[in-house]
Amino acid sequence: MIQLIDIEKVYRTKTIETVALNRVNLQVERGEFVSIMGPSGCGKSTLLNIMGLLDEPTSGYVAIDGQPVKTHSDSKLAKLRNEKIGFVFQSYHLIHDLSVVDNVELPLLYRKVSGGERRKRALEALEKVGLSARTKHFPNQLSGGQRQRVAIARALAGNPEIILADEPTGNLDSVMGDEIMDILLRLNQEEGTTIVMVTHDENMALKTNRLIRFFDGQQVADSRVLEAQI
Amino acid sequence: MIRHLFKLIWNQKKSNFLLITEIFFSFLVLFAVLSFIFYNYHNYTKPLGFKYDNVWQLWLNPNTDSSAHNLAVQQQLIQRVRSFPEVEYASLSNSNTPFAFSQMNNVLSYGGKKDVEAGVFDVQDDYKNVMSMEVSQGRWFGPQDNASLHVPIVINRKLQEELFGEENPIGKLIPINDSTQYAVIGVVDHYRSYSEFDPEEAAYFHRINLGKNTNSIWNGLVIKVKPGAGVAFEEKMVRELSRIAKDWTIEVTTQEKMRQSKAKITTVPMVALGLVCGFLVFNVALGLFGVLWYNINRRYAEIGLRRAIGASSKQIRNQFVGEVLVIATFGLLLGLVLAVQFPLLQVFQLSASIYWESIGAAAFLIFLLATICAVYPSYQASKIFPAVALHEE
Repeated sequence: MIQLIDIEKVYRTKTIETVALNRVNLQVERGEFVSIMGPSGCGKSTLLNIMGLLDEPTSGYVAIDGQPVKTHSDSKLAKLRNEKIGFVFQSYHLIHDLSVVDNVELPLLYRKVSGGERRKRALEALEKVGLSARTKHFPNQLSGGQRQRVAIARALAGNPEIILADEPTGNLDSVMGDEIMDILLRLNQEEGTTIVMVTHDENMALKTNRLIRFFDGQQVADSRVLEAQI
Repeated sequence: MIRHLFKLIWNQKKSNFLLITEIFFSFLVLFAVLSFIFYNYHNYTKPLGFKYDNVWQLWLNPNTDSSAHNLAVQQQLIQRVRSFPEVEYASLSNSNTPFAFSQMNNVLSYGGKKDVEAGVFDVQDDYKNVMSMEVSQGRWFGPQDNASLHVPIVINRKLQEELFGEENPIGKLIPINDSTQYAVIGVVDHYRSYSEFDPEEAAYFHRINLGKNTNSIWNGLVIKVKPGAGVAFEEKMVRELSRIAKDWTIEVTTQEKMRQSKAKITTVPMVALGLVCGFLVFNVALGLFGVLWYNINRRYAEIGLRRAIGASSKQIRNQFVGEVLVIATFGLLLGLVLAVQFPLLQVFQLSASIYWESIGAAAFLIFLLATICAVYPSYQASKIFPAVALHEE
């Protein structure tokens, strides 16, 4: 589903060169729930951005569904992101001036979908995350867990094959974090959505199928979770 | 997307209130200034009904009270002027010649039409030739009018419409007093002499008959000179006329100079208003530019999010341009509520079309301004790297 070969990412300034990712090779299969762990600054988010076509590697090969993306134009990359990938962020990234349902509709605004169809799909997505009663609320009227559920609903509204979640439980207490994790697990198990999640929480990571560990921009471990637990 | 933008701006109405208010006032000022400019321009493009090329204006002012002497001098002056080979035609007139700062009005009544106000222009038979006027119906004054029972007048089309409507005006008699009547002998299509920027008013020409009007002195003398007549002729003419009218003040100017002088009364305020308006628009432009720049910096994370969920850089650029246009639309809609009252209620009695044109032009300028101000910041927004923007809070 997602293929990364020899990925390098180097940030250069006039005086400093920082290697964020160093020869990373990774293949994520359809239906997997992959967690990525590692200390801050080890390149996890950079990797997620490259997988999500939000950033370009300095060198290496990226393919989605077997199609290399290097030569894609800006608009084609945007279309791929819109149709194939859903994003969930630690800080939710909701638009405060839009209601919950309008936030969830956002990805569909960039497709040729009628207003009625957009609303229908947004409400369905909100129902999946248990927020049907909050559709008219604004983000500042919701708790952190509810906001993250809105963000997940937004990612789901576009019916993506892949969800990339960057520390989705990072700002939440354990109860809310578990709620969010349950939703992601359900999506993966019941709907077969491929999920790649960056997390600092070992317990959350152990609930996924596969755990990849990063250190200093390098992939240092890649194991099935059951093996990791042993 | 348009509905989304309207919803977004509507939900941000508090933070956009000042900008919307600024656009509202700018629209109203633009509307007012453009109405003024369009009104004058419309008038300017209408025919004057005469030509002022090579027409000189002489002002003849006797400094003595001896009317018999003055009348004799007046006769000599007009005869001498006509005798110059450089002069094609000459006509005495009142002081309200074209582009003069003088007006004379009278009130006429005919049948059911009462108290129609019209400009009165006392002229001689040659006035038509001096001013290259065309008579569209009937005839101009001539020697045959010396024996007329009634006072002959030539009217303009506007006065004809106001007094007689669709009726043929030729031969119609308009009472002046119990014993005297005007007889309409001709019609000119236009006569708009006060200023090129003024609308046409009802007007009529009254014949000066030096044989009959034996007690009147006319201050104006308009002459049509041959092409090439210049300062040398002017000096010669004034010198010779001063010799005839030793105790008179004689001034000469051209109708072209008078036209320019009169035009300044309209063009100077128009330019001043235009400058004030331009300054205001410039300030609005700075405001729009600043707010948009601030918005883009404030909404870095949102831009990143939109890119992440599928917006291309072009769509981001269009969104920010669209937002500014929506803000402008809100300001315009408020302004329109006021502006449309002007044509609907016929305020200041201007033609409704002038108001509608001004509304259209003001709205176009506001949208143009908003677009110009939005282009560069929106372009910058479209270049924001999504991975970086998503880490901004």
